Amino acid sequence: MPALREILADAVPNGALVACGGGELQRKPMAAIRELVGLGVGGLRVATLLGSADVEALLGSGAVVEVHSAGVALEGLAPRWREARQTGTPAVVEWSEGTFTAALQAATLGLDSMPWPAGLGTDLPAVNPWLKEAQDPHTGRPVLAVLALVPDVALIHVNEVDEEGNAYVDGDLVVDGLLARAARRVVVTYERVVEADPARVAISRIWIDDLIEAPGGARPTACAPDYAHDSEGLREL
Amino acid sequence: MIGDLLTATLAEEIAAAPIRVFVPTTPATAVAARAARLLGNDRLALSEGFTALAGPQRDWATDVFTLLRRGLLGVAVAPVQLDAAGRTNLSGIGAPGRPKVALIGPRGLTENNDTPCPLWYLLAQHSPRTLVERVDMVCGAAPSRTAGPRVLLSPAGCFELVEGAWRARWLAPGGRDLIDAAPGFAIEIPEGTPERAVPSAAALDALAAVDPGGTRLAEFGEG
Repeated sequence: MPALREILADAVPNGALVACGGGELQRKPMAAIRELVGLGVGGLRVATLLGSADVEALLGSGAVVEVHSAGVALEGLAPRWREARQTGTPAVVEWSEGTFTAALQAATLGLDSMPWPAGLGTDLPAVNPWLKEAQDPHTGRPVLAVLALVPDVALIHVNEVDEEGNAYVDGDLVVDGLLARAARRVVVTYERVVEADPARVAISRIWIDDLIEAPGGARPTACAPDYAHDSEGLREL
Repeated sequence: MIGDLLTATLAEEIAAAPIRVFVPTTPATAVAARAARLLGNDRLALSEGFTALAGPQRDWATDVFTLLRRGLLGVAVAPVQLDAAGRTNLSGIGAPGRPKVALIGPRGLTENNDTPCPLWYLLAQHSPRTLVERVDMVCGAAPSRTAGPRVLLSPAGCFELVEGAWRARWLAPGGRDLIDAAPGFAIEIPEGTPERAVPSAAALDALAAVDPGGTRLAEFGEG
């Protein structure tokens, strides 16, 4: 079975759009990110609904040219995210949680874009080229048209997988189910293998391309209920 | 204590609201929601983040937006800026896209500010830095006519957005001085606006039952 590094070397070319699963300080795919940083790929575009250590580590690697997120924080504010936004380098594309989700939904359906019921009357369309005001062709009412965001690869860390390759998440799934359906390739790292339990499956194996065991693979973020986030580890990023 | 007064008021508001799910954003809002179940909304589901309703809830990432459009989800937020028309900002201070001070990001403010759901703004301070005439970056649009109740709870009192302007429901002790100190954030104080210093006994009992250690008070700088 290929190692995580070999899989990532194949899955993540220079310039790829890499989506990170989890949310806030939960289940960030840190083992995969550490390997990715070690590969020396560059020009990466990174997308995550709600970022933390993932975005900070990738920004710190110098491999990133663009970040997409609805918000990034550690236990407090995230210094590299703030610096990028204040200096404009690398580029940051601001999303809301809903528009980001809509961009993934559009990707799952193969749509160029899809309408979204919120965001008109905000400054988001002015700062995010993926969002444009449009008119519903049936009613003429204004809508926000959200351009699809199609990750080249999604990196997702989960608590468990079974022998068939289904993934189980004991805590918050965040939008990882959607991410797995939107991305062209899905790399899942996991804490351990368990017996199959169809009622508990969070992400079916039909959406997963690569599975790699990586105990502690979310650290220094949490993987509830297996472990909490590590404050000291977050500070050392 | 102002933390008890505001948390208890939020609990009563949640208890009376026709919502099925509440999304806690801070310890005090979680306490308020648990107290609301004792105060009458006993079927209220609580969600932490994007899942964690009782039992498997695997479609939450899309359900949350459906609940918002149908008016069934409640949340209490603390934006970095809230303005006189009810717009919200959690992105940063300075021009949109070029902030002088970048903060977290828009998060879900875009989706929850103009919906049929009730929405509460729970602020630990009635500060002119937070309560402004116009937010620097509009993350949440001004609530429209079809929006549910928009209620601000701050150490100055309880305020509701009525036809695009803030109006006092009741004032906390010293509330007028706090309002005067944030002049960009206009609030109409109708004649006869009552003052409220302590929560109702029922709400206070509910808080004590669900949060005997007083975890709700830390975010108000009390306890």
